[in-house]
Amino acid sequence: MTPNALVVGELHDGHLAASTLEVIGVARALAGGAVAGLVLGAGAKAAASEFGRFGVPEAYALDDPHLDAAPAGARAAPVAATAREVGASLLLTASTTAGRDLLGRLAVAWDAAVATGVTEATAFEGGVRVRRPVFGGRATETIRLEGSRVAIATRPHAFAAVAESPVPCVVHEVPAPVLSEAYTAPQRTGVAVTARGAGPSLTDASIVVSGGRGVRAPENFRLVEELAASLGAAVGASRAVTDAGWRPTSFQVGQTGRAVSPQLYIAVGISGAIQHIVGMVSSRVIVAINSDASAPIFRVADYGIVGDLFQIVPALTAEVRRVRGA
Amino acid sequence: MPDFSLTPEQESLRDLARKFARAEMAPQAAECDRIGRFPEEIYRKAYELGLMNLNVPTEYGGSGLGVVDQCLIVEELAHACGGMTTSVIANCLALEPILLGGTPAQKERILSPFCAKYQLASFCLTEPSGGSDAGGLKTRARKDGDQYVLDGEKCFITNAPHASLYTVFATVDPELRHKGITAFVVPRSAAGVTPGKDEEKMGHRASSTSTVRFEGVRVPATDRLGAEGEGFSLAMRTLDQTRTPIGALATGIAQAALDHAAAYALKRQTFGKPIAEHQAIQIKLANMAQAVHAARLLTWHAAWTIDHGAKGTLESSIAKCFASDAALEVADEAIQTFGGYGYMKAYPVEKLLRDAKLTQIYEGANEIQRTVIARELLQKYA
Amino acid sequence: MEIVVCVKPVPDAETRLRATSDGTRLDPEGVKFVLAGYDESAVEQALLLKESIAGSRVHVVAFGPAPRTEEVLRATIALGADQATWVDSGADAGAEPVRAARAIAGAIASAPHDLVLCGKQANDDESGLVPAALGELLRVPEFSCVVDLRWDSATSRFRFQRPIETGVESWSAPAPLVVGLQQAWNDPRTAKLPAILKSRKAAIGKVAAASASSESRVVAERFELPPPRTGAKLIEYKTPEDAAQQLVRILREEAKVFP
Repeated sequence: MTPNALVVGELHDGHLAASTLEVIGVARALAGGAVAGLVLGAGAKAAASEFGRFGVPEAYALDDPHLDAAPAGARAAPVAATAREVGASLLLTASTTAGRDLLGRLAVAWDAAVATGVTEATAFEGGVRVRRPVFGGRATETIRLEGSRVAIATRPHAFAAVAESPVPCVVHEVPAPVLSEAYTAPQRTGVAVTARGAGPSLTDASIVVSGGRGVRAPENFRLVEELAASLGAAVGASRAVTDAGWRPTSFQVGQTGRAVSPQLYIAVGISGAIQHIVGMVSSRVIVAINSDASAPIFRVADYGIVGDLFQIVPALTAEVRRVRGA
Repeated sequence: MPDFSLTPEQESLRDLARKFARAEMAPQAAECDRIGRFPEEIYRKAYELGLMNLNVPTEYGGSGLGVVDQCLIVEELAHACGGMTTSVIANCLALEPILLGGTPAQKERILSPFCAKYQLASFCLTEPSGGSDAGGLKTRARKDGDQYVLDGEKCFITNAPHASLYTVFATVDPELRHKGITAFVVPRSAAGVTPGKDEEKMGHRASSTSTVRFEGVRVPATDRLGAEGEGFSLAMRTLDQTRTPIGALATGIAQAALDHAAAYALKRQTFGKPIAEHQAIQIKLANMAQAVHAARLLTWHAAWTIDHGAKGTLESSIAKCFASDAALEVADEAIQTFGGYGYMKAYPVEKLLRDAKLTQIYEGANEIQRTVIARELLQKYA
Repeated sequence: MEIVVCVKPVPDAETRLRATSDGTRLDPEGVKFVLAGYDESAVEQALLLKESIAGSRVHVVAFGPAPRTEEVLRATIALGADQATWVDSGADAGAEPVRAARAIAGAIASAPHDLVLCGKQANDDESGLVPAALGELLRVPEFSCVVDLRWDSATSRFRFQRPIETGVESWSAPAPLVVGLQQAWNDPRTAKLPAILKSRKAAIGKVAAASASSESRVVAERFELPPPRTGAKLIEYKTPEDAAQQLVRILREEAKVFP
C-alpha cells in the first residue's frame, strides 16, 4: 500500500509534544506516500509549522481554544474530515488518554480498523500489522488492521523520536466545527496541573523505587525516598500505602494507579498483589526486598533479598551513594 | 458414575470463599499467629458475607448449605488460615444440635435472633477429665421445677470467651452414663456462666479457646434440646454432620503446604539448578500431591454421602482421619522441602504444621475415628 | 436514573496464559473468566449512584460468548444490578473492541440510558476504545479515565474528575453521558453468599448481536508470551551491607541497569 498518512499531534506548552515526534517517525516509516500533520486547540496554528522541522511538508491546524475545553468527541468530526481531505489511508497518534479517545471515535466516524498501545508497526499490502502488549505486559498480540482506513495509536516511549530534517511546511487552516449542544453542554470547571516532585515523574523515570505495606508507617517511607534519591529514581507506592494515606494516590503503581515499565524497578516491602504486579511487570529488571520469602513479588522479580528492609534499604542507599561517589 | 464437576453455583461459592480468604484472612494470618490475636473484625466480615452460619437453613437466617458446599468453602478459608477457619465454622458445630434436636418453635425462638446479627456460639462437650469419653462427663443438670440447674466445667471450648450462646451437654444422673446426658442452650448472659481466660496454644492461634464454668446456672426446661437422656445421641449425630468439614479444613492446610513447597522448590537453587529439578524433591512433591488429592476426594465423598441423606459415620470418620493425618504429613514434608528456612518463623510452613496438628485431635481424636471406622467395618463381617 | 453498565468477561488475573495451537490467540481452554477489573469499579459506581439517587436502575450489558458472558452478568446481579442483557457474540470470542462497542450500542440504543458506564479499559486487550466508540455510536459525549463521578441533583449534572497525563481536570456535564471509569468512590463490593445463591435463578435477557457492516477488519495473527519469569534469584548474604554490595554489583555487571 502506498498510503498517505495523517499524524494527529498533541501540543505541550504550545509545541509539538515529545510523543508526537515519535508518531511522526512511525508515520514516515510506514507511509509510502505523503505524510501530513494535524494539530487542534489553542496555539495549533503556530505549532503546526513545527511539523516542517521533522520532514513533514504539509500541516493542518484547527486553532480553536474551545476544543481544549470540549469533550474529546468534539475532535472526531474535524479529524475525520481532514483525513478525507488529505486522502489518508493511515492515521497515527500517540496512545495517550486523548489519543485513545480519538481512535475510539474514529473507528466509527472514519470507519477505520484501529489499535491503541502499539509498540511495533509494519505496513503490508492491504493494511498495517501491529504488535501491542496485552494483559498488563504478560503477553503480546500481533494483529492485522485491514482495510482502506487504518488508525493506530503508538505507546509513548516505544519508538524513537524522529530526527530533525527541516523542510518547508505549508499550514492549512481547518474550519472550526459547529458543535451540537451535546458537545457544548459539558463544562470543564478546572484544571489542576500536577506538581512535580524533585525526582523524575513515575511514567518517565528509567528507575522506580516503590514502597509497600512492609514499610509499616508513613515516617518510614523516607527510607524508600532516600534510596530513590540516591539512584535518581522516581518514587512509587503500592495501593496499601496510598489507601492508608501515607502517600497521595498519584504515587500508586498498579491496576488502579499508573502502569510503569522502567529499566529498573525496586519493590520495597511490597508483597506483590496481582493488582500491583500488572502495573510494573513489564519493567526490564525487577528487584524485590521483602522479609517474607513466600511473597508473590519474588515470583516476578529477577533478583530478591529476603530480609529486614529497615536494615537492607539503608545499607543499599549507602552502597549506591558510595559507588556513585555522591 | 459419580460426577466430580462443580456446578456454576458451587464455583461461585468457592470463588467467594477464596476471595475472602485471600483478601481478608491471608494478610493477617502470620501476625495473628505470632501474637495470638483473635481477629474479630475478620469474623464479623465473614458473617456479613454469609460465610459463618453455613449449615443453618435460610428460614432461620443462615446460609442453608449442604455439606459439599460447606466443604468447598471451608477448604478455601483454611488455605489462608486454619485457626481463623476454626473460629469461623465454630457456629456450625454449636448450632447443629439445635438444628437436629430443637423443635420448630425452639429453632425460631433461638436461631432467628441469633443469626440476625454477628454473634458467636460454642459447642460445650469436652471436660477437663476427658474429651473422647463423652459418656463419662461430669457437668450436672439438676431438675428444679420447670428449670434445670447446671454445675460443672467445660474445657478446650472454641470461641468461648467471645460467644453469646453455648450448647451445653450435662448429665441428669452420672449413674446412667450415656443415657443421662442431656443438651441445653445457655446464653452467656445467664447468671453463673463464666468463660475462662484464653489458652496459649501451639497452633490455631487466631482462634480462641477457653474453659467455661457453669455455677448454679438456671436454664428453663424450654431450652432443653430433645428429651432427658437424648444428649449423647444428639452430640454424636452433630459430630457426624460437622466432622466432614474438618476434613476439608485439613485439606485446605495440606493444599497450602503443597503450594508453598512447590513454589519454593521452583525458586530455590542448589547445585546450580532449582531444587524442583532434583528427583528427591520431585518425589516429595508427588507424594504430597497424592495425599492432598486423596484427602479432598474422601472429604467430597463423605459430604456427598451425607447430602444424599445417609448418616455417613464411616465415610466422615475416614475423611476426617485421613485428611488430618495427610495435613500433618504434607506440612511436615513442606518444612523438609524448605530445609532450614522451613523451621524459621519468617517462613509460612512451620505454622501449617502447628495448625495441622489440631485437626488430628479435635472433633473426635483420630484414635476415636479409627475406633469408629473399625467398629463400622467389623459390623459388616460379624 | 437509568444507568447502563457495559462489562466484559476477561481471564482471571491469576490465569496462566497460553496461546492456541495455531498461535494466533489466547487459548480459552481451562481459563476462568471474571468481570474485568475496571468493570468491577464501573458496577460499583453504578450501584453507589443508584443508592444515592431515588428511583434509579442498573442495567448491565455484556457482549461475548457462552457461558462466560452469562456468568459475569450473573455475578453483577449478585452484586445488586437490576437487569442483565447478554449480547451473544456466537462463535466470535467477542475480543475485538470496536465490534463489541457496535454490538453493545445496538442493544442499548433503544433502551433508556442516562448514563452509560464502562471500565476505562479491559484487562485483557487494554485497548480503551469501547467508551469512545460507544459515545460516537450513541451520539453522546464520552469521558475516559473518570474518577469521583457524582450526581449533583441541584443542577441535574454529573460532576467528575479526570486524571490525565499532565494533571487533573474537573468537569460537569448533563445526562446522557458515556463514562470510561478509572475508579469508583469505594473498592468494589463483594457479593454476599445469599445474593450469589439468588442470582443463580435470575433471568438474563439475551439478544443476538447485529451483524457488522464495516469494511475494516482486525485480524488476530499471533499471541505471544514472554519467556516465563522463573522467580527471583535470591541473594544469600551475611550482613545487610553484604547484601547491598552484592545487589549493586549484580545490577551493574549482570543486569546492566545501574545508572
